[in-house]
This record gives sequence, structure tokens and C-alpha cells, in this order.
Amino acid sequence: MTDNDVIVAEGVVKTYDDSGVPVHAIRGIDYTLAKGEFTAIIGPSGSGKTTFLNVLAGLDTPTEGEVWLSGKLISDMSGKELSDFRRDHIGFIFQAYNLFPVLTAEENVEYVMLLQGIPPGERHERVMAILKKVGIAEYAGRLPMQLSGGQQQRVAVARAMVSRPSLVIADEPTANLDSKTSGALLDMMRRLNEETGVTFLFSTHDEIVMKRARKIVVLRDGKIDGKASLEDC
Amino acid sequence: MLLKLAWRNVFRQKRRTILTLLTMTGGFFLSSLSIGWMDGSYSSIIMFFTNNRTGQIQVHCKGYLQSPSIYSTVNDYQAAGVFLDSIPGVRAWAPRIYSGALLAVRPRGAGSGNVFTNSAAASVIGIDPVMEEAASGFSSQIESGEMLSSSAADTSYSATGQIILGKELSIILEASAGDSLVMLTQAADGSSADRMYVIRGIVSTGNANIDRNTCYITLSDAQILFALQGKVHEIAVMTGSLGAVDELTAKISAGLSGENLETDSWKTFAREFYNGMKADEASLKVMIFVIVLVAAMGVLNTILMMVLERRREFGVMKAIGTRPGFIVRMIVLEANIMGIISVIAGGILSTAGLLFLSEHGFAMDPPLDYGGTVFREMIASITPECYWIPAICVIITASTVSFLPALKAAHTKAAKTLRTV
Ligand SMILES: Nc1ncnc2c1ncn2[C@@H]1O[C@H](COP(=O)(O)OP(=O)(O)O)[C@@H](O)[C@H]1O
Ligand SMILES: [Mg+2]
Repeated sequence: MTDNDVIVAEGVVKTYDDSGVPVHAIRGIDYTLAKGEFTAIIGPSGSGKTTFLNVLAGLDTPTEGEVWLSGKLISDMSGKELSDFRRDHIGFIFQAYNLFPVLTAEENVEYVMLLQGIPPGERHERVMAILKKVGIAEYAGRLPMQLSGGQQQRVAVARAMVSRPSLVIADEPTANLDSKTSGALLDMMRRLNEETGVTFLFSTHDEIVMKRARKIVVLRDGKIDGKASLEDC
Repeated sequence: MLLKLAWRNVFRQKRRTILTLLTMTGGFFLSSLSIGWMDGSYSSIIMFFTNNRTGQIQVHCKGYLQSPSIYSTVNDYQAAGVFLDSIPGVRAWAPRIYSGALLAVRPRGAGSGNVFTNSAAASVIGIDPVMEEAASGFSSQIESGEMLSSSAADTSYSATGQIILGKELSIILEASAGDSLVMLTQAADGSSADRMYVIRGIVSTGNANIDRNTCYITLSDAQILFALQGKVHEIAVMTGSLGAVDELTAKISAGLSGENLETDSWKTFAREFYNGMKADEASLKVMIFVIVLVAAMGVLNTILMMVLERRREFGVMKAIGTRPGFIVRMIVLEANIMGIISVIAGGILSTAGLLFLSEHGFAMDPPLDYGGTVFREMIASITPECYWIPAICVIITASTVSFLPALKAAHTKAAKTLRTV
């Protein structure tokens, strides 16, 4: 492990208990994600992408193995430390956008900074800057239901980025979007990656998304398939 | 932002929120009216009782209340009266003598021989017609005949006196105004006394138990008859309102402390009545508890549904680093926003309801019978308790009922709730 690694995972196993029946979602993964990467985790449905991302993000605990985030061992952190760590170091983008329906685009983005205790003036500035960057500054005052899926996902990207995290994790961010919108969203994310150097790790089974990734990790039956190529998916 | 979030969340599910608000507002309204009505009923019953008869405060010789005796007298009642007149808040006072006697009626036209038809034992109360009128408005209760006036009997033992009979007593004696009767009794000096009386009037105080065995003669007459010159057994003190009674009692007690006298408020000398009222207050508490419980169930249901529906949102909040305390505060705040709105709405509604009930009263059907006194209509009174008790109930209910669901929401497992499949 070097200072340059955002994520280091060793021997990660995740076994779910489905009413007594063990479900082996992750079957032993060693993985390192370096700073600045723009990596896609691909694999068929049920291959363990979501489970793997959740474990890497500290949302779920592995059954076996260790995960280090920016050099810190997740299993050493208390619930509160982990929560604060996610708040300050990880941005999340979800498949279903998951914006707060009662908050406007602007307020949704502002929310994380509120948790961080950033003063209102700075919050407003940063919100407007990031909304401009993702191209929806003019919709700042709209509620999520007044925005299209693509626009909502841009707000979600802004929410994930505004706290200046070292890592953005996105689980199938384009699954609910059409191909044109998906391409545009990925282009924008890639641009943000290049401009800010923030590391992106996202899962997908969408070819449009894969094409824009700089690195691809293939998951199959809970394991990284080292030999697989793009065409296998 | 927390407030903004909570506020907007409250109005997300408008229909359900309105239902919840109605439940809470209804709870407030019912509690408030119950309290106002209960307070009003008591005030009017107490005022009725005390104004008509007992007064709100009484002065006796020490020990008289525990064991009333013809010998336990207020010896210089005039002096006590001068003191009472000097106290602001004392509206009037009335001196009284209490004793017992045997009454035997001689109907009109029966001549002057010893022909008596009916007889009965009765309490005899000596009253000062003028002061009693000022204190209890005695004459307004006279059903037939007239009020007592000063007579020859006030100065001469051998003269014929005037007497007023309670209504039921007059029925027992089959006597009416204008009839004569003989009273046999014993004076304080031990001598037996008897005297002729003409029935001046019949009184109905509204309390049948009292009217069945009570008759009234003038105070001067009673003092001569019972050999109690210058003395009385009781001074009944009338105040303007109930609120000042405790303070006035203390004041009078302090002022008359040297005279072997004892000053009590209605809470002591009408103890049974006071205890009955306290018992009713307990039943009011039970009633409010039930109202609160019903409202609480409604609110709990809403909060639980809301927490269940928004699990995914709580998952997102947790994932992006929201601490559990924030979520707890948000949900408890949401419940309290509903609580505060209900308190305001309930306050307005209750004021309208209480104003109506304090003007128009509430017909009692069947009429309420308190120790022989019948009340047909009750009037609500608007007191601070009508507001702060329901308000506190609503806020405490909202807070407690939302706390556990809030804790549950705060510990939502992000990984689980965020799964789309
Ligand atoms: N909570 C759970 N309980 C039991 N099995 C689960 C649970 N979550 C996921 N799984 C199973 O784990 C496997 C991997 O799921 P997932 O990580 O969602 O894959 P992907 O995201 O690649 O579709 C699947 O077989 C899925 O059914
Ligand atoms: Mg998945």
C-alpha cells in the first residue's frame, strides 16, 4: 500500500445470509484503486458489483478480509468515525438519483456541506460553482421532480463532488438514463476527474459507460476475472 | 436547514398530515373544553353554595366547626365586623346564631288555646335581616310571604316573634305564612325557653336537605331567646371571587388571632364538597389521559408510516455521512411542528368553544344534584389551564411518540435500504 492508493482491499469475502442459506456475493477479492483513476467495475447482474462497492465504501462490512480507505482500516473505525469519513472523503452517486424530494437542486447539493459545518456564505458559493460545472445552474431552484432523470443525476454528481471528496463511488449511475444522456453524463464525470483529479469508481453493465472508462475491472461470480475482456460482458 | 427539511417533510403527505393535525387539534380542543367546563362548573357550584349560604370564609369560636355547641360563641362580633369591613375584598359579612328547637303549629282560626296540629324538630338560625340580605340576598329565596323585619320580640321576651320556615319544613308542619307556632328550646343559661311566632314567610334555598329542617328568626330575637346577648356563633364572609379566598382567609385569620377565634375557607368547612371536587378532578385527569392516548395512537401511526415510507431517504442520508442524531432531531422536530400547529389551531378553536360555553352554558340533563342543590345549567370558564395543560400534553405526546420511530430511522442500514433489486 502506498500513499497513492485510495482503496486497498485484501481477501474481501461477503456472504449474505438469505434466511439460513448462505449467498456468496464476494468470494475473495484483492483490489487496489489508485488516486485519480476513472475505473469501471463491470459484470453481469448478480455478479456482486453493488456488494463490492458497498464494502469498499464502508456502507457494509465484509465477512472476511480488510479494506483500507486513504490508508485507514475501516474495521478500526467506529460507526461515527466511519460516517464522518464518508461525509468528508467519499461522494456517492446512486442508480435511482436518490435526491431529497423536498429539497431544491441547490439545497440538495448544499446538504452535505451543512453536515460538514461549512458557513452559509461559502456553501452558497460552492453550490453555485459546482452546479455551473455540471451544467444545471439555471435549475438550481427546482425540486427533483421538476427535473429530468439526466438533470437529477447531474445534481447527484454535484452533491457527490461538492464536499471535495477524494473518491466518488457510483453504482450503475446511468441505469435509468437513455444512451445519449448516459454518454453526456459520463463525459462530464470524466471531465471532472481530469480537472479535479478526484478518483472515480463506478459499476455498470452499459457499453456506453465502459467505453469512457480509463480502466475496467471485470467481476464474475464474486471474483475479479483477470483474463476477461470487454467483449465478455 | 433542519427546520426547512422538517417543515417540508411535514407537508409532503398533505392528506395524512391534515388527518394527524385534526387528531391532535381535536385532542387539544376536547381537553381544553373539558377543563374549562369543569373549572366553570366548579366555580359556579362553589359560588352558588357559598354565596347562598355559607360564604366563602367563616369565622367561629375555636373548635366550633369540630363540635358545634351553643356555648362556643364569637363574643364581640361587632368588633370583628369592624375589622372585616376594613379589609378590601370582603364584600359583605353576616352574623348568625345556630341552635335547635321543637316547633309546634297552631293553625289559623284555632283560637288561642293549646291546640297544636303538627310538630317537628328544626335547626334555628338567627340572622340579621339587613346584613343577611346584603350577604346572601336572602329575600330572593323567599317563596311566599315576606322577609323578616325587626319586631317587638327583638327587645321583649314575652312578645310574639317572626319566623321563616324552610319550604319542606313548612310542608311537614302543614303550615303557611300567617300561621302561628310555638317554639320550645333551651337557652345558653340552661333555662328552658318557649315563645310564640307568626310565620312570616317560606324560603326555598334550592337545597331540599336544608329546607327540610331549618327555620330563621332575627338575630336580636335569637340572642334574647337563647340568652346570647351580643354574641353569635358564626360570621359568614362573602368575597367577590373564589380566587382571592385563600389570601383573604390568611389575612382575616391573622387579624382576629387574639380573640380565640378560628377562620376557615370553604375548603375546610365544606370539606366533603371540596373532596368531591378533588375526586372529580381525578376523573377529569383520567378523561384527558384517554383523549391524549387516542390522539397519541393516531400520531404514532402517522410517524411510523412516514418513517417506513422514507427508509430509502434515511439510507441515503446515512450513506452520505449524516449522523443518527440529525435524523432523530429531524423527525422529532417534524412531530413537534405538527404539535405546534395543532396547539395554535386547537387554541383558536377552544377559545371559540369556551367563549360559546361561557355565554350559553350547557344544559344539564338530567340536572346535577350536589348535596340537595340542583344545577340545571353549567357555564364554562376560560382559565390558563384550558390552554397550557392541553398544549403540554400535545407537545409531550408528539415528542415521545416520535422518539422511538426516529431512533429506528436513525439506525437505518444504508447498504440494505439502497438496494434497487
Ligand atoms: N441482502 C442480501 N441478502 C441475500 N443475498 C443478497 C443480498 N444482497 C445481494 N444478494 C445477492 O448477492 C449477489 C450479488 O448481488 P449484487 O451485489 O447486487 O450484484 P450486482 O450489483 O452485480 O447485480 C446476488 O446473487 C444477490 O442476489
Ligand atoms: Mg447492482
